[in-house]
Amino acid sequence: MAKTLMRFTGVGGQGVLLAGEIFAAAKIKTGGNGLKTATYTSQVRGGPTVVDIQLDDEEIYYPYANDGEIGFMLSVANVSYNSFKNGVQEGGTIVVDPNLVHPTDEDRKRWKIYEIPIITIAKEEVGNVITQSVVALAIANTMMNAIDKDVLIETMLSKVPAKVHDVNKVAYELGEKYAKEAMKN
Amino acid sequence: MATREIISTGNQLAAIAAVDAGCKFFGGYPITPSSEVMHEMSDLLPKIGGTAIQMEDEIAGICATIGAAMAGDRALTATSGPGVSLKAENLGLAQMAEVPLVLVNVMRGGPSTGLPTRVSQGDILQSKNPSHGDYKSITLCAGSLAECYTETVRAFNLADRFMQPVIVLLDETIGHMHGKADIPTAEDVKAGIVPRKRFDGPAEEYFPYGVGDDEPAVLNPMFEGYRYHFTGLHHDKNGFPTEEIETCRKLIQRLEDKVAMHEDELESYEEFMMDDAEIMIVAYGSVSLAAKEAIRHLREDGIKAGLFRPITIWPSPAKKIKEHTDKINKVLVVELNIGQYHSEIQRAASRLDIEGLFKVNGRPISPYEIVNKVKEL
Repeated sequence: MAKTLMRFTGVGGQGVLLAGEIFAAAKIKTGGNGLKTATYTSQVRGGPTVVDIQLDDEEIYYPYANDGEIGFMLSVANVSYNSFKNGVQEGGTIVVDPNLVHPTDEDRKRWKIYEIPIITIAKEEVGNVITQSVVALAIANTMMNAIDKDVLIETMLSKVPAKVHDVNKVAYELGEKYAKEAMKN
Repeated sequence: MATREIISTGNQLAAIAAVDAGCKFFGGYPITPSSEVMHEMSDLLPKIGGTAIQMEDEIAGICATIGAAMAGDRALTATSGPGVSLKAENLGLAQMAEVPLVLVNVMRGGPSTGLPTRVSQGDILQSKNPSHGDYKSITLCAGSLAECYTETVRAFNLADRFMQPVIVLLDETIGHMHGKADIPTAEDVKAGIVPRKRFDGPAEEYFPYGVGDDEPAVLNPMFEGYRYHFTGLHHDKNGFPTEEIETCRKLIQRLEDKVAMHEDELESYEEFMMDDAEIMIVAYGSVSLAAKEAIRHLREDGIKAGLFRPITIWPSPAKKIKEHTDKINKVLVVELNIGQYHSEIQRAASRLDIEGLFKVNGRPISPYEIVNKVKEL
């Protein structure tokens, strides 16, 4: 794998930043380079937030993902989806939460769009809405095959408090399950 | 030198660097995008017997920092451009009274409240002359995660060497990006600390400002038996106010010369693919990262571009800049402001045909914008 460019978008407060940090740290653990940058608005909660994740075996210079080169985007807010979708390359993969994001028919022709109710999964199946970033992490990794699963989970667990380790492991497995199902259809 | 790998953000690395460099005090007031420096300091300092105080505003933040430095500690404050505006008066006091401290400025869009969460390099000229009057600023600018660490360490050593505030410029991108930094070990950093000079003779022979024409003041820590007067007024060798003509002239000339006559100790820059460069790009901070990627693309297209990146921004590496601009015809300055360093490159080069690529909308300059601009030259 030479280079993976991913973009997570949502609104401030949803925890999309953490998934980016986990990806970058896990890639570095495997001897490569990983970099996470985030942009957000001065509305700390509710403003569109975008996290760019670059994983590369080579040295990374420019810290943002160049528009048009992004292979994978995940979005849990319509405002952010619309602002940032054009960075995804033609034929690239986009995962949206269908309860919150509404792609157009045009979009569906341009990109591979998968609908996975990330927040409902976190809230109802895992039982803790905060785990949505780990559900998202699992979906992204399953679809992009970016990092060895064990390394990613180990890195993730090192960044969340011990008392929520089990619930986050459940979140990861559920994210992976839903991603696999989505790709089958 | 041994290194270690840390996965972190630029802001956190600056704080870790401060503590490793012996900083025992932080006084400040949180402001986006610099707040994580303060968060980290408030976490780290109590563990080593240091003190971090959130003051009532930015002005009080630097005043507390000046106080800690006068008591003998290495001291840090951190802020963004609007905070530097508030601290300006007391940065001038620290220049005049020769108090060593480090200020980390994580730049955001300005003027005024500007674009709080967005990247900018609009504080380049502010960092040269934040306060009124004559003095010679020392400003360092980090161009990578590792340099957020190494330049903060260097800033503390330079502050004690030159007895004045040293500004470390980060920008929102560098401050917040999260990745790998290969940095010196804390042991190596500690071994490299050169503490500020002190006077050990009899107290009645202590004249803190009675030093050579190109030398910084020797300020012993307060409360150790060496008394002196501390003021922002023009002062004599004891620190007492004076209007004596020659004393006043010599004082201000010394503030200039203690830096100007030792610029070789300060000069720092990076040359990236400059050996055979036919086009010279000048960029610093996070923009230099875009420039490096742009150069990679340009070289693939057979265009021999190189990067000159000043690390010590003030005083600028003027001699080295001229050496390059005398040989290289096409020079492009890329920065997130409307040419604040461009004018310095023109000055250093004694040329008015230096090109510029500027952006002030809070968004980064992408490598492709640089590639396109270079191809137009």
